[in-house]
Amino acid sequence: MAASSSALTPHVAAIGESRAHGQRGISNPILGMILFIVSEVMFFSGLFAAYFNVRLNATQWPPLVNEAPFAPFQIHHDIVLPAILTTILVLSSVTMQLGVSAIRRGDRTGFLRNTGITLILGLTFLVGQIYDYTQLGFGITDTAFGSTFYTMTGFHGAHVLGGAIMLSVVLYRGMAGQFSAKHHDAVEATSIYWHFVDVVWIALFSTLYLL
Amino acid sequence: MATTVLRPAATYRTGLYEWLTTTDHKKIGILYTFNSLILFLIGGLFALAVRTELAQPGLQFMNEATYNQMFTMHATVMIFWVVIPFLAGFGNYLVPLMIGAPDMAFPRINALSFWLLPLSALIALMGFPLGGAAAAGWTSYSPLAQSAFSKGPGTDLWIVALTLVGTSSILGAVNFLVTIFKMRAPGMTLFRMPVFVWTIMVTSVLVLMGTPVLTSALIMLYIDRNFGGSFFNTALAGGNAILWENVFWFYSHPAVYIMILPAMGIVSEVLPTFSRKPLFGYKAFVFATAGIGALGFSVWAHHMFTTGSVYLPFFSLMTFLIAVPTGVKMFNWIATLFRGKLRFTTAMLFAVGFLSLFLIGGINGAFLAAVPVDYHVHATYFIVAHIHYVLFGGSIMGVFAGLYYWWPKMFGRMLNERLGKIHFVGIFIGMNLTFFPMHLLGLSGMPRRIADYSPTAGWNDLNLLATIGGFTIAVAMLPFLWNILVTFRGGEPAGDDPWEANTLEWATSSPPPPYNFDHLPPIRSERPVFDQRHAADAPAITAGH
Amino acid sequence: MGLTAKRWARRAGMIAALGALAMVLSACTDFNVRTAMPPDAASVQGQATRNLYDIVFVIGAAIFLVVEGLILFAVLRYRRRKGDDELPPQIHGNNRLEIVWTAIPIALVLALFVLSWQTLNTVDAHTPTPTVRIGVVAFQWQWQFVYAPDGVNWQDCGAAANKGKCVTVVGTLPAGGDRANWTPPTMHVPVNETVELQMHSIDVIHSFYVPAFLYQRDITPRRDQVIQFTADEVGIYRGQCTQFCGLYHQFMEFQVQVEPRADYVAWLQQQLTPPPSPSPAPAASAGAPAGLPGASPAARASVSLALTAQGVAYDTTDLAAPANTPFQIVFTNNDAGIPHNVSIHVGSPTGQEVFKGEIFSGTDSRTYAVPALPAGTYAFVCSVHPNMTGTLTVK
Repeated sequence: MAASSSALTPHVAAIGESRAHGQRGISNPILGMILFIVSEVMFFSGLFAAYFNVRLNATQWPPLVNEAPFAPFQIHHDIVLPAILTTILVLSSVTMQLGVSAIRRGDRTGFLRNTGITLILGLTFLVGQIYDYTQLGFGITDTAFGSTFYTMTGFHGAHVLGGAIMLSVVLYRGMAGQFSAKHHDAVEATSIYWHFVDVVWIALFSTLYLL
Repeated sequence: MATTVLRPAATYRTGLYEWLTTTDHKKIGILYTFNSLILFLIGGLFALAVRTELAQPGLQFMNEATYNQMFTMHATVMIFWVVIPFLAGFGNYLVPLMIGAPDMAFPRINALSFWLLPLSALIALMGFPLGGAAAAGWTSYSPLAQSAFSKGPGTDLWIVALTLVGTSSILGAVNFLVTIFKMRAPGMTLFRMPVFVWTIMVTSVLVLMGTPVLTSALIMLYIDRNFGGSFFNTALAGGNAILWENVFWFYSHPAVYIMILPAMGIVSEVLPTFSRKPLFGYKAFVFATAGIGALGFSVWAHHMFTTGSVYLPFFSLMTFLIAVPTGVKMFNWIATLFRGKLRFTTAMLFAVGFLSLFLIGGINGAFLAAVPVDYHVHATYFIVAHIHYVLFGGSIMGVFAGLYYWWPKMFGRMLNERLGKIHFVGIFIGMNLTFFPMHLLGLSGMPRRIADYSPTAGWNDLNLLATIGGFTIAVAMLPFLWNILVTFRGGEPAGDDPWEANTLEWATSSPPPPYNFDHLPPIRSERPVFDQRHAADAPAITAGH
Repeated sequence: MGLTAKRWARRAGMIAALGALAMVLSACTDFNVRTAMPPDAASVQGQATRNLYDIVFVIGAAIFLVVEGLILFAVLRYRRRKGDDELPPQIHGNNRLEIVWTAIPIALVLALFVLSWQTLNTVDAHTPTPTVRIGVVAFQWQWQFVYAPDGVNWQDCGAAANKGKCVTVVGTLPAGGDRANWTPPTMHVPVNETVELQMHSIDVIHSFYVPAFLYQRDITPRRDQVIQFTADEVGIYRGQCTQFCGLYHQFMEFQVQVEPRADYVAWLQQQLTPPPSPSPAPAASAGAPAGLPGASPAARASVSLALTAQGVAYDTTDLAAPANTPFQIVFTNNDAGIPHNVSIHVGSPTGQEVFKGEIFSGTDSRTYAVPALPAGTYAFVCSVHPNMTGTLTVK
């Protein structure tokens, strides 16, 4: 059998293209992102499991400090700011999805605008969250209440930051013209990640502030 | 049919630079293998330290502080830097080849997954010169692992290292799953994939869903130790020590299936080749593998039967049930041997050795599913026996079978069979000598993790025997190491398919070219290379699916 | 090939060798290797476990023999004959067989599950009226057993109101780690009566394990455990902590002494009788100069040393005292709930013990009256924690 590059089978020659010859369904990077998000969901599940375990085993929740109720633990009384932040984050998911729809139909301007707004909303959320931290009046060392609260919201915030970085990269690449209606996997993947971050927040907000 | 190898371009990277920067799944698989081999020797040294100290009553060689580090790091190294990566390395090397793909789905992430391993191993081992490595047992229960009781950076380094290993594993799992779902060659339907690929797929699901829970536990422990958290710290209000056990074992139990399923996959490739007949009950294997994976998430609290904090009947039932798919596999393997024409190469010896030894590990595991029996032998040497029969007699035997089987493919040279057989005999005898007596020690009440024991408890002779066995294993490794050295340059050239095997990796040169395949044979069954070899024979033999 | 036959001979030889080894060992070891059984049960619950074990063992052994036999048979019977290149029948599977060897194991494990659940209910059953209640405190790295009379809660035994009513057994670690002259603390219990243990840990997770009862239970801080057993064989049974608890985990041994009720009551009585005041140090036998002046009542100790225990450590490792003069040690134990004391040995912690102060739990303090010691170097060490040690210079 003569050795020459033309003897390579089509599927081998298609390395590097996510839409490989004969391939159907979602692309590799998007499937990869979905699976990665599955692992992230399990990570947060560990933290949620810890929270519920600690809470249900406690004789009193929020716990007493020095035998007396500790006012800063009454976070469900001060939910105005967190509720606003929740609204901001949900809105950012809407704008993210609008951006995805835009690039799917080749509307680069609409995509850039919506992605930009999403990034701004995401950063606003982060700033608001940090501000809220300064107003809470308890820290990570203040009983299991503090430990669970800061660990869960803190890791969520880290994920928002990660998402913001992804959005920045996507924005930059978009401005450089690297996305089209046919090729914009990074945008789809980022949007899926961003929605995940939003859903986790809704679960966190409901669990920590409302329940 | 021989494959012609295309000459690489002149600017192709070579040497050390290539190995450090490669994203080729084959080189990465080899890197995983050598990293695991080196750490196997290190973990083995820790084991020898433990066995040397326990050979006789009285502390002769080290104090308790050192001993506690030895058994903690032995287990940690063996689980996270030896067994899991050995199998991930085989997966890396073989999965793309076996499904006819040119590489893994995300080659650069693949490289990252590997390099996190030597880095994290270094971090964990750095505990030794920095005031003491982790010494709370690989299970690191709280409150013992809290900063009040485990002072120094050892435990923190252990936590950081394991978080990095977890990241490596999770990224690897994503890679394997996308590769398997999306990059199979035309004709390679899911039910024509080699069983080894199935086991990697199910293992990857376990890694994806279990490892992040360990990561969350490690982070919570780190916060307890360094930021005054009170997740598991019972000295503070709200801290729950049992919470650690639950979150830890939720991962660490599926981890044992992560460590055994690919080894079972290896055995499922080796046995048919050297029996000269197909794997008996291919579909049963696939379903049994999936069943073990699913059930594996429902049994974690059987490690906590003696805590008084577990709903015992449920976990006992699920633990008993998981014996069923495991048994199905055992019977199917034996049926593969039946009416075959068995060739006892070293790889085959290790595969059959796996069957005998894993059987023992499975049976003594069934003992443990019975809660009252577990009440008697929990945290004794009976458990140590169980662990090592399944992980050494199972996983490591599977790893060696895989090494002898695929070494020719990876390096283009045959390993020496005589040295291989000496290696096998030494390991088989040594392994039984070391771990069988531990059943008896445990039944008579010898706890684990003790640096020394009462000279009047009746344990002296069995401990000495186990130590002799441990050194037998160590000595038995020497022919293997010598084998690698002498055959590296001077070994017999392997050719494409030295074993007359069945699956696609044997349809290309040894070692394969960077792009894996010059051309692929038609894929019409789970044995495409076998089919091609016997295409001229009566069609009855190659009954396709 | 000839090599194949050698392989079989080697395998068969290996198995025979292992079997012979096992038999030789059983003859010359001090443990009954031949039986692969747990110890004979010394409790009612243990016997239930033992019965279950016997059934599981028989089934396990049978499965082992059958399956291992099949492997061995296949390996011997179906090896490729030299020169035989023909393919064997290419059998892919047999669905009926799959069903059979799935259904039978399911039935078997379900039966075992039901059996083990029934045994579990016997083993963990609690009666509301145990005749003996003992408080068990686990700490790094020994045990404390507290016997309280009726009407007194064992946790309250330390209160002044209950002084002299409770019996407390506190374990100590062997001096210098030498097990030779050491007895683990002994829990006395009456035979054929239901004993309840209320177990508490003050620091890390420990576990209370008595092999002869075929039973253990983890003791987790903040999760006190209550277990019951009925010992039905008189004897002394060893016990040990099985949950790894740190540095001296290996020394957390204890004993359970099962005896007739009369002996048990006599033992309790003897513990409640206050012990005679400690005799002066046997300085003469230690080779000290003769004619040691005895401490006269008027010559009260004028030297008072202060020593504190905190974080399982002494606050100083150097003490000095005058020779040939009784002196005091004001010992403060700042570790809440943790027993400490001060004991003095000649030369090193493994040397002859010349003084042993009362072991008590913190936070509390005692003033020890140490008798006159001849000049020399001594070691002071905590009887419970051998890592707490220092040097006492007497001159």
